[in-house]
Amino acid sequence: MDTSHPRGWRGRLLHVDLAAGTTRSENIPRELLAAYLGGRGLGVRLLRGAFALDPFDPGMPLIFAVGPLCGTPAPTAARLAVVSRSPLTGTVSDCSAGGRFAFRLKAAGFDALRVVGKSPRPVALAVTPAGGEILGADALWGRSVRETVSALSGRGSVAAIGPAGENGVLFACVMMGEGNAVGRGGLGAVMGAKNLKAVTVDGDLPTGVADGGRFDRARRDVMRLFKASPVIFGELGIAEFGTPALVDLMRQRRMAPTENFRKTVFEGSGSYSGPAIRKGYGARKDGCFGCPIQCKKSGRDGRHLPEYETVSHFGALNGIADLHAIVRSNDLCNELGMDTISAAATLAAWGECRGRFPSPEEVERLLGDIGHRRGDGDLLALGSRRVAESFGKPGLSMSVKSLELPAYDPRGAYGMALAYCTSNRGGCHLRAYPISHEILRKPVATDRFSLSGKARIIKIAEDTNAAVDSLVACKFSFFGATLEEYAELVSATTGETYSPQSLKEIGERIFMTERFYNCANGFDAKDDRLPERFFSEPGSSGEGIEVPPIDRARFDEELQKYYRIRGLSPRGTFADPDYLSRQP
Amino acid sequence: MRDQIARYAARLLADRSARPGAIAFAAHDDVMIADGEPGLARLAADVLAQLSCLALCAARPALPFADFLVRRSGPGESRIVPRDTETRTFLHDIPILRREELGPGAAGRVAQLLGNRKGVVVEGIGIVANGAVTVEQAYINYSSVFHATFVKYLFDLLGEGFLLPGEEEAFREFRAGWLAPLSAGGLAFRPGPLRDAAEVLDEVALVGRYTVERGLVDSFFGNISYRLGDVVYISQTAASLDELAGRIDPVPSDNSSTTGITASSELLAHRRIYEASGARAVLHGHPKFAVVMSMLCDEKDCRIRDCWRDCDRVRFLGDAPVVAGEIGAGGLAKRVPPVIGGPGKAIVYGHGVFTTGRTGFGEAFAAMVDVENRCREEYFGRLDRAGR
Repeated sequence: MDTSHPRGWRGRLLHVDLAAGTTRSENIPRELLAAYLGGRGLGVRLLRGAFALDPFDPGMPLIFAVGPLCGTPAPTAARLAVVSRSPLTGTVSDCSAGGRFAFRLKAAGFDALRVVGKSPRPVALAVTPAGGEILGADALWGRSVRETVSALSGRGSVAAIGPAGENGVLFACVMMGEGNAVGRGGLGAVMGAKNLKAVTVDGDLPTGVADGGRFDRARRDVMRLFKASPVIFGELGIAEFGTPALVDLMRQRRMAPTENFRKTVFEGSGSYSGPAIRKGYGARKDGCFGCPIQCKKSGRDGRHLPEYETVSHFGALNGIADLHAIVRSNDLCNELGMDTISAAATLAAWGECRGRFPSPEEVERLLGDIGHRRGDGDLLALGSRRVAESFGKPGLSMSVKSLELPAYDPRGAYGMALAYCTSNRGGCHLRAYPISHEILRKPVATDRFSLSGKARIIKIAEDTNAAVDSLVACKFSFFGATLEEYAELVSATTGETYSPQSLKEIGERIFMTERFYNCANGFDAKDDRLPERFFSEPGSSGEGIEVPPIDRARFDEELQKYYRIRGLSPRGTFADPDYLSRQP
Repeated sequence: MRDQIARYAARLLADRSARPGAIAFAAHDDVMIADGEPGLARLAADVLAQLSCLALCAARPALPFADFLVRRSGPGESRIVPRDTETRTFLHDIPILRREELGPGAAGRVAQLLGNRKGVVVEGIGIVANGAVTVEQAYINYSSVFHATFVKYLFDLLGEGFLLPGEEEAFREFRAGWLAPLSAGGLAFRPGPLRDAAEVLDEVALVGRYTVERGLVDSFFGNISYRLGDVVYISQTAASLDELAGRIDPVPSDNSSTTGITASSELLAHRRIYEASGARAVLHGHPKFAVVMSMLCDEKDCRIRDCWRDCDRVRFLGDAPVVAGEIGAGGLAKRVPPVIGGPGKAIVYGHGVFTTGRTGFGEAFAAMVDVENRCREEYFGRLDRAGR
């Protein structure tokens, strides 16, 4: 354990102005790091003063931020958050990803990288302990993610956009060189608008730990809890089967979104379940750098195999039971640099709008068209809300705040329904992750068909996860561990004193700052809405499980309760216009 | 919320872990709800108001062991560290607050400690435990602290004897009054082999309830399964053993389905036990005396420091083998199956008991009762022989 180097944080960010072609290193006050931790929290804080800019305004920052645990052996902590304003949703947006990139950014000596401005020509940014260097990238423009990563691999770890990001696809993602995606919210398009094709990071500066003995004890506690968790290290858990382990479970719970959420059971889901993928592709363990869980899976040929959301949405949501076609769709999205959830959900909405879901062959062609903005792809590149509106059928976009819903039907988990609405980045399952208790029974089970107590539970989970995204740790860790063990890890690392309670309070500050940005940009209760379908159409009942429509009056009551718990007005807005100025 | 509070207050009475009339819960939805003994309810609400949690339980334990542990601990100690597996894995340690530390700001001090841990012992008041997301969780955490302090106190007594005025009398009262005879008498079991899934589900739920009712668990945790052909029917993780209807996962042996991802963390152990023993039923509980006795080891000059994880010896308590191994993938599933086949029972260091039935649960349940009774007998025998 290294105790001789800066403890947890490096205390520096690299500011890059692509319009001016300059880079400079800045100090980050330790008080700010202590108050926002890193990752999502630090990124959100650094967005202050710019959050009202258009996502494609050159002045809009694109921030890559790691956390205090990155660079230490803390389990699942070699991650970063990318933060900006989403062109798809208009909300503040962050996305977490693993891979060596985060580790090497920290090892280059920086807690964060803030990119502003638009380069006149395509460029790449190379970050090392010496600072930043802006490189011409004309030759890389138009290249796939794989080609770009390969061309830059001599410079360390790579984060790159594909053609989708270059062409302004509103759900373009930033891909990490090892295949991890900064998937949701279209931050790849923000990067593309800056003419920034890729970022490379390299370095070998170690991250110190203030109290090695305390750190080791906490790490052992975390690993013990991982081993005790059936979801993580169970024989049927995600370490064995990856997140597609959820396919069979969602089918059994009758909450697998099918045919654009018209149904909640897809009889063909067995063809892309965890066991089916293992059989079909010889799936073996793979995953984020430094992660003991290794929930990602790759095939015999080394290709990255799709995650649960991807198989379910390219499968059930579009009525496709062909595993090979689904894997090809995943490959295409990765090469073009597109969020698989939004891509598949947009195709499903389009399919329902026109009266026919796309065939596997059509999906393949359309994904290419989307990435290159040609033919039907030009419209589809704008996401499901704009597609459905263009058909005059806005109700067929299964999204909240224009972010397409992932593969948990809200009629099958009412906390999830509420959390989709209150999420600051739109229809996302990971802000509060109620699937953890409503379906996976962690830390305890709650009644998935009840809204009782869910407003408070969602609020607490949102705060908790904002802290987790700022440490930065993987949400899957919390199928076993809790903030108790991670508070120990971050205290041991930084030498500051944190508790689960203080981390939740930090998480609350981060979450409310995001909400404040959104409200200042015009968001309010009218945007915290689920599509009408979920209140008027039942899911697919059967096998003793009733899946009725959600009771709107009861739902609205719980949403109002949530606003009261958050100290917001009945419109979901801030009564206190000075909220932000009182935050560190 | 009020129905949840009533439900878990009733549970504390039913499992006899809290003193009647000395139980309170608080739950924080959009408004604060507190119910129960007024003083405790006020404390619970005051503490909860300072925490990002949904619920809190404050109750006076039915036994004075937690208070004794506080008073037996050294003046500089701020926590107690029970050695049972549940504590080691989930609680880590239990903060204590002494009577002299209480004052006008007691709620603030308790909240500060609970901001870091799941439960705290407040001398003269009782156990205060939080529930991050449910009222049930507050009950579970209270119950876990009660279990941990029970086990630690009994374990410490064997080594140190009575140290405090009134301790011996209280213990005598516990032994003669609180501690009820344990038997499988009056319980009906299907003899087995069970014929179909419906019968299995019914019997598993029934025996799960027996296990809780006879006090063979802490809170309501343990796990239970039955093998029918190539499918193991097993209780779900974090399931209340006395409410298993709809919470039993059928898990095929070829892993052709992953719906069992919600199965008990001990699924692996159950499967290996079936493979090694040919049994059809497996029952796992946390009976307290077995947990205490499993941690008594006479080994001298042992180099192993992490007994829970690293000890590879097989010791015996009567005819029951004792092995080490942590929960889930932590080693228990490797060490229990090789020793359980013959005796149909095995004790896991600091953790609990596994038993098997060749055709039905009657044999497994009787074996667990037998193990706990023998451990109880041996415990009091040792205590008496030591003159305590």
